[in-house]
Amino acid sequence: MAIRLTIDPITRIEGHLRVDVVVDRGQVTKAWASCTMWRGIETILRGRDPREAWVFAQRFCGVCTTVHAMASVRAVEDALEMPIPPNAQYIRNLILIAHALHDHIVHFYQLSALDWVDVTTIPKADPAKAAAIGESLSEWTGNSRPEMKKVQDKVNALLSSGQLGIFQNGYWGHPAMTLEPEVNLLLFAHYLQALDFQRQANKVVAILGAKTPHIQNLAVGGVMNAINLDNVATFNMDRLWMVKGLFDGIIAFVQQAYFSDACALGGLYPDWFRYGAGVRNYLAVPDLPTDGAATAYDLPGGTIFDGKLETIHPIGGPRDEWWRAGVVEDVTHAWYQGAGAQQPWVGETIPDYTDFQDDGKYSWVKAPRFQGRPMQVGPLANVLVGYAQDHPLTKRWTDLALQRVSAAARRQITVDDLQSTMGRYLARAIRSAMLVDLANRHWEFLANGIGGGDATTYVPPSFPRGAVEGVGFHEAPRGSLSHWVVVENGVLKNYQAVVPTTWNASPRDEQGTPGPYEASLLGNPVADSDKPLEVLRTVHSFDPCMACACHVLDADGQTVATVKVL
Amino acid sequence: MSGARDSRFPAPVAVVGLGNVLLGDDGFGPTVIALLRAGWEFPAAVELIDGGTPGLHLVALVHGRDAIVLIDTVAGPGAPGELRRYRREDLERLPILARVSPHDPAVLEALAIADLAGGGAQTVLLVGLIPASLAMETTLSPPVRAACAAAAVLVVEELTRLGVSPRLRREATAPDAWWMRHSTENP
Repeated sequence: MAIRLTIDPITRIEGHLRVDVVVDRGQVTKAWASCTMWRGIETILRGRDPREAWVFAQRFCGVCTTVHAMASVRAVEDALEMPIPPNAQYIRNLILIAHALHDHIVHFYQLSALDWVDVTTIPKADPAKAAAIGESLSEWTGNSRPEMKKVQDKVNALLSSGQLGIFQNGYWGHPAMTLEPEVNLLLFAHYLQALDFQRQANKVVAILGAKTPHIQNLAVGGVMNAINLDNVATFNMDRLWMVKGLFDGIIAFVQQAYFSDACALGGLYPDWFRYGAGVRNYLAVPDLPTDGAATAYDLPGGTIFDGKLETIHPIGGPRDEWWRAGVVEDVTHAWYQGAGAQQPWVGETIPDYTDFQDDGKYSWVKAPRFQGRPMQVGPLANVLVGYAQDHPLTKRWTDLALQRVSAAARRQITVDDLQSTMGRYLARAIRSAMLVDLANRHWEFLANGIGGGDATTYVPPSFPRGAVEGVGFHEAPRGSLSHWVVVENGVLKNYQAVVPTTWNASPRDEQGTPGPYEASLLGNPVADSDKPLEVLRTVHSFDPCMACACHVLDADGQTVATVKVL
Repeated sequence: MSGARDSRFPAPVAVVGLGNVLLGDDGFGPTVIALLRAGWEFPAAVELIDGGTPGLHLVALVHGRDAIVLIDTVAGPGAPGELRRYRREDLERLPILARVSPHDPAVLEALAIADLAGGGAQTVLLVGLIPASLAMETTLSPPVRAACAAAAVLVVEELTRLGVSPRLRREATAPDAWWMRHSTENP
């Protein structure tokens, strides 16, 4: 008997991800991903000054503020073909790294750990054994027995109070939750510790970006951080050392706790390397430029098709024709006028709402395609694209992760196994470990630049008569993000944002080919259709972001999943 | 509140305006923050934050405070522009929903997580507003626009009750709600 399951957490409120799956004999056989809210950013940006576009762009989404701000200034700089001062590049890179680490840590612990960790088993754990497991995994200092005991007491108090708080809608006791109580305790202790390091990452962004959650220091042409070593009111060595100190704490947590936990989780749930591959085409854009003109990058970009690393095609920069000419957006199954695909610079976003039609239009998300194909973006794409190019930093952390996971799973887990639900979790941890190494490198670039007497952080842009086109990209926490601008006589004529979640949550295209979320759910097990935990695991592995998310607190509250017998 | 705490980091009292300024009435929270900044001077113990739509990242903004005041749109029965006050115990009665994305509204969760991490605020007030329109635009509907001043006064009253009252500016400055400024068409 087949049933249809609709996962739509806040059905009365627009702007959220809805997932529909058909489950037959315990497996997903059909899937649709839909975003329930219209957005057309160009309606707000057309006619505005391109120098202020980033201020609006960073409001597209409240979690990914910084990434949109960055893609926006880069797009206008690309249109003007203007390099920026090297110090500006490094300050931007450090902000991007801190933001990404904050985001990845929140994703692993606060957003998804409770899909795997059954907190209701924690009262049964032996704190000494939990501490011993922690010590066997890494040298992390937060694994002591007293720490484990303290966390266990906290959980006990919460569970016995009857006020479950954040635990009230977990799928506790679900047959797919298989970790022993001590591992649950250890991971939950890190869940709480993670909150401190998120705040530290946030502080880095606040120091460099002048403010969070919306940074203030960007400008088309560089950054507005005035550098003057002799003036305490400006950016100076004190601030630089403060940033370094904060990064040092984050580095230890990421490499010793987060990375270790992700490897352990993979090793203890090895079956999840078999589910969720979905679309095996990958796209990552290069990021963390090492000079002002962005002629070289520390994170490589490229494309991979059909899951074969040997098909790697590097992307050198925003002017690379493989990239620039490769991206289109298809609206056949999206609630917009027209059919077929359009290049973003000429893209339109004219709403054309129908009901949810399984075989027709069913989402507000357009379907981006690269050389005609759906692409998966995100940390996994980032890691595979680097691995395929023998990028040393990617290889080092990926090989270490695979070695640890294989040891815990007692079977060989290969780089090909990363193309899976668990692979996406692991790749995010690998990427985080790489990013903290790169934080040190770009901090040194900046310190050397400033120490060498270079205080330049900004060059004013000048706009030509006539029309120019630009694209700004960023390898954001959720994957490749690009902003496409057309500037005419110094004014924005068109603006399209092709965001990571539109690549991953894309609906079917003209050919009926499903997007990555949809494809990844096929074959997923569902043990209990009233508690679709396994579906959430795969959806969460992408770190979904309906950038359109509208922030209305629901004072009523409704169930998350509805089940209909077909 | 004692003067010694004025220099504490983070400030013991946070006033956080939540909402997306590009989505019509959802810009209510940030608009009230702009109004407060324009009309009053605040003691160092109070931090005003235009929080946007931080989802779970809200935890970092509320952690470690003695008191927080949240300003947000709420879905519930009532007419557009109506203001509602929620205290901690009212919020605790609401169910926390399973989340699909980190962006789902996370007010209740952020408060619960901050508690669990030992940084929860003792006093919580949520000034909620029933919105009329959440369309993609950068202005507020007339009933919501009309409610902003009353919401600002509710916030000031709460701060006064907490002993950290702001001072009315002698000359009010214009609120910096930059998102409502018109585009540069025909420059």
